[in-house]
Amino acid sequence: MRPPTRSLMHAIAALAVTLAPFAQGAAESPPASGDTLLVGSIGDASRLLPILATDSASGDIVGLVFNGLLKYNERLEIVGDLAQSWTVSDGGMTITFVLHPNARWHDGVPVTADDVRFTYQKLIDPDVLTPYSSSYELVESVEVLDARTVRVRYREPFAPALESWMMGVMPKHLLEHEDLNTTTFLRRPVGCGPFRFIRWKTGELIELAANPDYFEHRPHIDRYLSRVIPDQATLFLELLTGRVDLAGLTPLQYRRQTDSPYIRERYRKFRYPSFGFTYLGYNLGDRRFADARVRRAFDLAIDKQALIDGVLFGLGTVATGPYPQESWAYDPFMRPQAPDAAEARRLLTEAGWEDRNGDGVLDKNGTPFRFTIITNQGNEVRRQVAELVQRQLGQLGVDVKIRIIEWSTFVHEFIDKRRFEAVLLGWSLSRDPDLYDLFHSSKTGEGEYNFVGYADPEVDRLLEEGRRTFDRDTRQRIYRQVHRRLAEDMPYTFLYVADALPILHARFRNVQATPIGITYNLIEWYVPRAEQRYRRIVP
Amino acid sequence: MTAYLLRRLLTLVPILLGITVISFGIMKLAPGKPTDVALGFNPKVSLEARERMERLLGLDQPIHIQYLNWLRRVARLDFDRSHVDLRPVRDKILERLPITVTINLWALGLVFGIAVPLGVLAAVRPEGPFDRLTTVFVFVGYSTPGFWLGLLCIAVFGVGLRWFPVSGIHSIDHEAMGLFQRWLDTAWHLVLPVGVMTFVGLAGISRYARSGMIEVLRQDYIRTARAKGLSERSVLFRHGLRNALLPIVTILGLSLPDLIAGSVVMETVFSIPGMGRLFYDAVMARDQNVVMALVTVGALLTLLGNLLADVAYAYADPRIRVGQR
Repeated sequence: MRPPTRSLMHAIAALAVTLAPFAQGAAESPPASGDTLLVGSIGDASRLLPILATDSASGDIVGLVFNGLLKYNERLEIVGDLAQSWTVSDGGMTITFVLHPNARWHDGVPVTADDVRFTYQKLIDPDVLTPYSSSYELVESVEVLDARTVRVRYREPFAPALESWMMGVMPKHLLEHEDLNTTTFLRRPVGCGPFRFIRWKTGELIELAANPDYFEHRPHIDRYLSRVIPDQATLFLELLTGRVDLAGLTPLQYRRQTDSPYIRERYRKFRYPSFGFTYLGYNLGDRRFADARVRRAFDLAIDKQALIDGVLFGLGTVATGPYPQESWAYDPFMRPQAPDAAEARRLLTEAGWEDRNGDGVLDKNGTPFRFTIITNQGNEVRRQVAELVQRQLGQLGVDVKIRIIEWSTFVHEFIDKRRFEAVLLGWSLSRDPDLYDLFHSSKTGEGEYNFVGYADPEVDRLLEEGRRTFDRDTRQRIYRQVHRRLAEDMPYTFLYVADALPILHARFRNVQATPIGITYNLIEWYVPRAEQRYRRIVP
Repeated sequence: MTAYLLRRLLTLVPILLGITVISFGIMKLAPGKPTDVALGFNPKVSLEARERMERLLGLDQPIHIQYLNWLRRVARLDFDRSHVDLRPVRDKILERLPITVTINLWALGLVFGIAVPLGVLAAVRPEGPFDRLTTVFVFVGYSTPGFWLGLLCIAVFGVGLRWFPVSGIHSIDHEAMGLFQRWLDTAWHLVLPVGVMTFVGLAGISRYARSGMIEVLRQDYIRTARAKGLSERSVLFRHGLRNALLPIVTILGLSLPDLIAGSVVMETVFSIPGMGRLFYDAVMARDQNVVMALVTVGALLTLLGNLLADVAYAYADPRIRVGQR
């Protein structure tokens, strides 16, 4: 039954594996080109057009096929991508980009300022199904100065705007006569990025090939193959047979299931903090939680390290505020507070919460302290965290119930309508520290994201100023203040930052874990010729 | 017969309409909109952007207008586009149909091919050793959760022994293969999923075949056949089996809609891009055009399957033929 080519390939692969040393330092110069990277993905992509891509699987592919004007480097600094240079002038009202002279679309046509303007026009076109239009509302005009220069004028200075120009630029010459909502381009994209689109078999795989004319240089790896494997257990078994090179691990898999000699010899595990945090948010419209002493008491009563150890197998860091340690907005002087049950109890007593009737539950004016934490269904980690928090607050004399609700219902019936007392959720954030949507007092309407109802004039002022300021040092000062203020005021109890846990086959070299992940320098990865597994398929 | 068929076909129309009205209503009653998945819980997406997308997708209209618009399109066999990947629903279904039908045909064929003889042979000596053995065997299959058995088979035959691939339906170099090799490659990938599905499905059919056969063997005409001095073989297979198979024919007809219905669990465990996942993902994403198309096609096939079963039964069993000469 077994096709001969496959067994032959296995034999060759096995041979290569036994013969090849796995030393990381043995750099080859120049790096050999060839081989295929097999990526295991839980979900399939859906729309391969930068301005329409919304899910992470689509985003991953779009990020390799298209380039934005700017990007983040491994130190989380904004650097040019398609833009060879860029200047901010007029106090932030004008941004001028100069495109890289060698940037070409995969069909050979040069990338020009017209393409940038076209992309902008489609982003603000009311008939295009893009969700990203709001990031461009403050743009007054986008002018083409010459083929390589484009000037963007703003109605008011808006620092997060720089991040919005990381949006993939689209080819005008291929799309100007297309309806973007229905074009076949959504499934057969042509970009200017390091990899060219080859094929997409729905629900199975997406194949990309190295772009030989990429303006930085051709990626050393020939082929990028994303395989859709919807089941985490199956994905893991695929790793064990070598039919997946790169995948994300769960904390359990990272700690307990990847210690076999087979995995240790053939794979490398990476660990870096993800950009985002898990938190317990309080409905500040509830009189009990409006009292800062109660929030502070809860913060002291919840042992965050115990959550990380118990649920994430230690693979995370205690959060002190909304920024992870890698962010330049993170205030390094903020230290995680050790849990202190006695102090927590004292604060609650001060706020009037005492166990007067001896039933083990605190009460005030005859009402016991009972509340419900809601969280969404389908997230096992959050459910376990909620249970630990329930136990820890229970020791304090607070009776906590947990309710787990299907996602759509959760968002529409509970969060949007403010029908909750406390909520356990996570935010994954962009690299820019702007938190206007989460904590500004104007963002508390239905469907907006300050659903805890936080309103602090000082934070409002800082968030407004942070958006208007381009100077990195000034912004750093502002957002560190935001960090401190939120940590003191605690509209949320910030719990932890979980680690991202990718695993990669060891034949790939030049790979580093950085705050932005491991694939940021994919075009530099290579496999020494002797260890290559898949035959060459592109020149 | 023609008049009967025509009457039956005509009654299908109101039933089908009723099913679509109810399904559409349930879709709309469920919390969440198709735009939820695309826009999620993302602070970068403003309220205005969300409202604009709802307008573009026609979701801001009253429910009855939305339903009538949908019906108008379906009357022209147009199921509109998916809200998730913006492709025509018809393309999405046609793309996944072949693999699901292939797997189900194999599994159905194997289930009937194995379960019917098992049941019939077990019925020859009820409660005998063979009967007991097969009963245990098919009920182990019936009681085992499919996902667990699937993962176990992957771990043993895919990872441990390396006889079969772990998941998927094609090797990654499938495109480069010759026609025969490609066929072999797909078959090689399908052994585990089809095997597991067959094992899990044996119990029902073998029980039907067994009880049908036991029932028939008690009939007077079997005693008559034996009294005539016919060989046991002829009694069992000519007189017994043909009658015992009648209820099986009904079940075969009722299995028609199952041919296009994929198993979500099996498709997830084995990474098969089939109809089961299409439906499951569409429900989760509130992708109403895809859900409605699948519900409508599924309902139509179920109704036709019922009709087919009745007709086949009438053909096989003269006792229940109606109004013909």
